[in-house]
Amino acid sequence: MFLAALAVFPLVQLLRLSLSDVQVQNLHRDWPFIGLENFINGFTSGVLTDGLLNTLVFVVIVTIIGLIGGIAAAVALRGTGQVTGALLGLMVFIWALPPVVNGSVWKFLLADDGLFNSMLSLFGLSSFPFLYDERYALISVAVVNAWAVIPFNALVFRAAVLNVPDEQFEAAQLDGATPRQEFWYVILPALRPTTLVLGVLTIVYAFRSFDFVYVMTKGGPGASTQTLPYLSYQQAFVGYDFSAGAASAVVAVVVVLALAAVYARSVLKEESE
Amino acid sequence: MSSSTVTVATPRTAHGRRRTRKSPAAIAIRIILAIVYVIPLLWIVLTSFKDKDDVIGSSTAIFFQPTLDAYRAAFTPELLAALGQSLVIATTSTAIVLAVAIPAAYGLARVRGVLPTIGLSLLIVLQMVPQTATVIPFFQVFGGLRLLDTNLAVILADAALMTPFAIILLRPFFRAVPPALEEAASVDGARSFRIFWSIVLPVVRNGVATTATLVFLIVWGEFLYAVNFFLTPGNYPLSALLAQQVSSYGINWPGLMALGVITSLPILVLFSFTYRLLKEGLTVGAVK
Amino acid sequence: MHIASRPQIKRSRIAAIVAIGTAVGLALAGCAPAGGGGSASDAATITVWHYYSLDNQNAMLDQYKADFEAANDGVTVENVYVPQDQLNSKLIAAAGTGTGPDVVVFDGYSATTLIAGGVLAPVTEKWSAFDGASEIAEGAVTTVDGDVYAAQGYVNTLGLYYNKTILDALGLQPPTTVDELEEDMATALAGGYQGITLAGQPDVQGAFQAYPWLTAEGFSYDDPQADALAAGFERVRGWVDSGFLSAQVPTWDQNVPFSEFMNGTTAFAENGNWQLSALASDAKFDYGVVPLPVGNGGRIYLGGEAEGVGAFSKNPDLAWKYLEDTFYSQAGQLEALKQVGSLPTRTDASADESISADPYLSQFAEAIATQGAPFPDTVIPSENNEAVITANGQAWSAALGGQTSPQQAADDFMTTLEPLLKD
Repeated sequence: MFLAALAVFPLVQLLRLSLSDVQVQNLHRDWPFIGLENFINGFTSGVLTDGLLNTLVFVVIVTIIGLIGGIAAAVALRGTGQVTGALLGLMVFIWALPPVVNGSVWKFLLADDGLFNSMLSLFGLSSFPFLYDERYALISVAVVNAWAVIPFNALVFRAAVLNVPDEQFEAAQLDGATPRQEFWYVILPALRPTTLVLGVLTIVYAFRSFDFVYVMTKGGPGASTQTLPYLSYQQAFVGYDFSAGAASAVVAVVVVLALAAVYARSVLKEESE
Repeated sequence: MSSSTVTVATPRTAHGRRRTRKSPAAIAIRIILAIVYVIPLLWIVLTSFKDKDDVIGSSTAIFFQPTLDAYRAAFTPELLAALGQSLVIATTSTAIVLAVAIPAAYGLARVRGVLPTIGLSLLIVLQMVPQTATVIPFFQVFGGLRLLDTNLAVILADAALMTPFAIILLRPFFRAVPPALEEAASVDGARSFRIFWSIVLPVVRNGVATTATLVFLIVWGEFLYAVNFFLTPGNYPLSALLAQQVSSYGINWPGLMALGVITSLPILVLFSFTYRLLKEGLTVGAVK
Repeated sequence: MHIASRPQIKRSRIAAIVAIGTAVGLALAGCAPAGGGGSASDAATITVWHYYSLDNQNAMLDQYKADFEAANDGVTVENVYVPQDQLNSKLIAAAGTGTGPDVVVFDGYSATTLIAGGVLAPVTEKWSAFDGASEIAEGAVTTVDGDVYAAQGYVNTLGLYYNKTILDALGLQPPTTVDELEEDMATALAGGYQGITLAGQPDVQGAFQAYPWLTAEGFSYDDPQADALAAGFERVRGWVDSGFLSAQVPTWDQNVPFSEFMNGTTAFAENGNWQLSALASDAKFDYGVVPLPVGNGGRIYLGGEAEGVGAFSKNPDLAWKYLEDTFYSQAGQLEALKQVGSLPTRTDASADESISADPYLSQFAEAIATQGAPFPDTVIPSENNEAVITANGQAWSAALGGQTSPQQAADDFMTTLEPLLKD
């Protein structure tokens, strides 16, 4: 019960904050209720609108690459050999490294004199502005974030693949199925329920992820990689406008609430089957 | 619910004779994965053996005078203490998370109707509260309970953070347990707790082991609570020591990378122990 | 397969109760309260929260600790490191529960935020009774509503570092005007070198380094003009276009560009005096520093850490004595100068010949005397400090990154700035 209270308490406080006017002066005193003013300000100034759009792009990239990459890795690594074990170990090692390490590494690798641009220059191409051009910075950070979740998704998907009964593969092979057909008609259907749970977890992760933005671009150039979680952090803990920060977080919560409803519906459906 | 779900309870991977055909696509994916994950790791490890001056600049990217300075500087008495703290915090939090999440997930899997649906949605929404936004409310609670500067504060905060996640992950495993199994036991007169303990739990042990591993890994890397709720750095776990490497006055890159490697190594050891369990048990949703 | 739900609820409830019981048991078994009594619970302990991460900064703190403990029998000083991006929020959170350290060493520009958050104790009486108070530069003292809360023991600021080896090879002299700087950079570029490195991140670090170039074109917060702002953005963006400055500048904080400079292939770097010790030990080339060539109107912010007494210190008098004897004392400030290269705020310390005789420190001292400006600007209502600085950093980053035109960046910033300047 205490734990439940502990888990719910911050959510309640967050909602209250988002509807009040709270700066550093009155954080520990009264919180005057101001209704939706924080949200209205955020949307009329465009900060929240931009943040929301950036977040949606970010979430779509992380989710799609994260899930497809996870499935691809799981299928490619469904053996039990030593190479497979080594590759999985490598991925888990990377997954366990903190974002400040992973993000910094990619910041270096994607810099002008970093590995990727050095390779491009070998082919006579000029440097690609991965992180400092507004068109590519958000995509670069999102792809790195997807890279960081693939190991987790791959592990879970792989276990689901391993759970497909051997007989099904044998039957498919007896029928002369190609590896591609095997993938489409045996593996993929078996992964459907796993995809649902992982999809939800990945989307939620992408919606709240701010570490990589913080480490790699600080929201820049300008505000072009400012996603809602980063915006919220920055408003609350750099600008000390706690209620504006809470409002930005609540916008993300509301979007996820809609997704949660979809998930809940599919859970209900699954139960009535 | 169809009877096919029973197969989940008896994973069938250990035969080792599984027929996997390696298509060209699979080989290509393996090569891509190897490249995409080896290069950053290589960079991390190389940097951890560099001198501070050699980190930036392409001339010293690959060829440099390796040094153990970063590791030598990292191996201090504090490191051992921090390792101990990490172990205590991660183990205890994981135990608490499991103790709460297992019955909760079981309940949510068994009870039908609108209530569990709302419960599940709430769990998802709870995941959305930014961790930074939880620091100040938690600080007030722990301050009121005089728990600041104790392991318990960090452990409880980590547990509160991870429990919703664990419930979502665990629930499908319990749904895979055929209720008929429990009915049979209750006809035999077994008491409800005994049924849960000796019949249901063993069936879902893979799921539990998997969830436990994931929770452990995440708590191991969590530093925000540790940095905020410990008033003295003597109690910091590894993850918080790592956060110490970054500041606007300069980042000690070799030190950061070396500590990263040191922090992640125990995880690799844990992974190799649970490799078998993970490969059999991580079937979150192979369950309807 | 429908099963009556009631017994199951009951079952899981029992399980839950057992589980929670176990959890509490485990928790208690696993966590004896940790030792090292944090916040001033011990009468003879002074807890100092700080975010110093460099070896030389910590050497300075250790020296302060050793000196103070030696001079005061039975007193223990405990230096507590908190990561920089966590320090303020941790202090504010702690203040909400009536706790906190005895001494706070914090980013000077956060002073008003921390005071509003109830983190610092007013020390007006102690200050007026302090002999050395008159020695400390007025601009280094934080006063709110007539009460003194904190003072800076030293200031940090920016200068223009140059690679003397490169300049000599090209037959160049360090620039004294921005036009000379641009000519020098053009020569350097033609000679196969890079022009300059500086910070362009959309945060306080970017804003800190933007200010000299903006004020050089006549921008001021007293009477902000979009044209002056645009001219400042335009000039530095022009350096990116001309190839003097790497296009990566929007991703640069204050550290990475200095590491680039340390590689020895860049002619100039805009950076702070805190980098001197790294240069002295690691530079593989000859170097020098001059004030930034930003003309008569150009200003540099005076940064650095401020120190104050925690609002919830159980031993404020001892905490104050610690500050008097260390950060605020002549000997203490000279110690910071020696260890870190920080510039003292006491006139009797900055008159020390170790500054005037030092070819680098003397340049920074001159810059402070002729160009120094309070950070953040005093005309900004203090509760909007961070919002203004962040918006400034974002506009700077957007202009340098080419995300918006310099004019557009200036207009955007003005739109944000105007309501923030009104109280």
